Amino acid sequence: MKKGMREAMVDVMIDEAQAGTNLVVLVSDSTSTSKIKPFQEKFGGKVVNVGIAEQNLVGAAAGMALGGMIPITANAAPFLLGRSNEQVKNDICYSETNVKLVGLNPGFAYGALGPTHHSIDDISIMRGFGSISIFSPQDPREAALLFRHVLHTEGPVYIRLDSISAENLAATAVGFLPGKLTIHRQGEQLVILALGTSVHHCIAAAEILQDAGIHISVVGVSSIRPMDYDQLEQILNAHETVLTVEEHSVHGGLGSLVAEVIAERQLGTRLKRSGIDEGTFAPASPGNAIRTHYRLDTDGIVASVKELAGKVQV
Amino acid sequence: MENSHLLSPDNIKEKARNIRKKIIEMNSHAGEGHTGADLSETDILAVLYFHVLGVTPKRIDAPDRDRFVLSKGHGAGGLYCTLSEAGFFDESWLKTYLKPDSRLPGHPVRQKTPGVEFNTGALGHGLPVAFGLALSAKKQNLPWKTYVLLGDGELAEGSNWEAAMAAAHYKLDNLIVIIDRNTLQLADRTETIMQLEPLQKKWEAFGFEVHCANGNEPEDLLNVFHSLQAGNKQPKLILARTIKGKGISFIEDKAAWHHRIPVGDEVFAAIKELE
Repeated sequence: MKKGMREAMVDVMIDEAQAGTNLVVLVSDSTSTSKIKPFQEKFGGKVVNVGIAEQNLVGAAAGMALGGMIPITANAAPFLLGRSNEQVKNDICYSETNVKLVGLNPGFAYGALGPTHHSIDDISIMRGFGSISIFSPQDPREAALLFRHVLHTEGPVYIRLDSISAENLAATAVGFLPGKLTIHRQGEQLVILALGTSVHHCIAAAEILQDAGIHISVVGVSSIRPMDYDQLEQILNAHETVLTVEEHSVHGGLGSLVAEVIAERQLGTRLKRSGIDEGTFAPASPGNAIRTHYRLDTDGIVASVKELAGKVQV
Repeated sequence: MENSHLLSPDNIKEKARNIRKKIIEMNSHAGEGHTGADLSETDILAVLYFHVLGVTPKRIDAPDRDRFVLSKGHGAGGLYCTLSEAGFFDESWLKTYLKPDSRLPGHPVRQKTPGVEFNTGALGHGLPVAFGLALSAKKQNLPWKTYVLLGDGELAEGSNWEAAMAAAHYKLDNLIVIIDRNTLQLADRTETIMQLEPLQKKWEAFGFEVHCANGNEPEDLLNVFHSLQAGNKQPKLILARTIKGKGISFIEDKAAWHHRIPVGDEVFAAIKELE
């Protein structure tokens, strides 16, 4: 059964608050965006609304962490990392405050609202800052496991929480280990590395491709930092071609990370990056249309793999 | 927690004089620093660390200590010299100021210096963080207070006014904001660059309990701190009128000394004025 990623997070908030975890949730008029109403009904005193004031949202979260609480910020990713970029850098990362930043509805989840509301640069921004862990869970189960993990681990965290509802994937049942890549399908010659919930389209594409006699590997990436670089190298070495899939600019996100590893470790794996083209904004269109436009949906991924397969004779 | 010094105004003045000497010696030794800003805030810091703040160098991580955030992070030198004078670390550390492996970097870093509560440097960050600190104390029913020192130039940053609005909204009478009102910023007079006045009315309109003080006069500052009302659900604002570079005649009230340091004979002349 499908479940929302945000609902999975809110369930953990309720559980943890009931168990006595000293958390506080900060929102910037984003109670509906974050779907925290069920939490707010039970623990109204643990919700702080600062109004539409993202700089104060993040600065205040840092202060509340210094005061001994575990603050969680919950608002739209573009405003969290855009408007309060310097607060994220200085007050959270450089100061190493125990704040859990949750960037809601990243990528082009806000579709037709356009680039003002898109967040196709958040991984790029966060990789530029030191001291902070960067996660993007693949399904509701992993979102819950990851969320519980970070609430009990000291230190700053950014969670890119996709907006969709999704089924739990079989491979996430093993639990959440920071840094580990999730092997969803084991194939030959070509591997797809997918960021967060993009992996669902990749698995669907792999099933279609299998029927066409093309057997590919699919690996989910929910942990950008920490990253098990040796595991990543092993995966890349085991394939001739890698396709990265992310609702993010191809610059600075997962595709860039993989390119760095291939170059620095001299792996020779051929790389194709699917995402928002370098140096452009995604159009102000419904999310599904944008996904199709950039070949990030199931059909687009199938097409990309077939093109690549033609060249590598998968 | 009570302040471990609780000095009288006259004794605080003596401490402020020592701190100023340290600032001159430390900055000239390091070859860099924000001398004007350090001297401007000295009396405010001396009053805080030698009487007002519930902190003790013996228990720097005590959960029940008062919190102090230096929003004007470029005043780090003044803070270090105050912390050293108050016994938070050995005076010999001041000789390492700005060296790559020093525990006294150019802007405050909480991971490096005992007694520093928060990393500042970029302006307009201290008040939102102090708001969060004060709110966390309220949420947890804890009695400690949060103090934050702002420069006047940084009041042009909009983040201050976001936090000011929120502090009044959440009725944080445990938050004490002090403005080092020396009327000079990096390049010129604050009022030439961006008009801040009428500051008192602005903060009153935002819902603060506002007080004015001579920010270079410990007795006046102490009187104001003692007059702050408890339990009235209003955050506090102390408009502390200061002179940038206070204490050294040739440094006082000159924008050029924002980040100049005394050199050669200036060092001896400055120290002589303090003796």
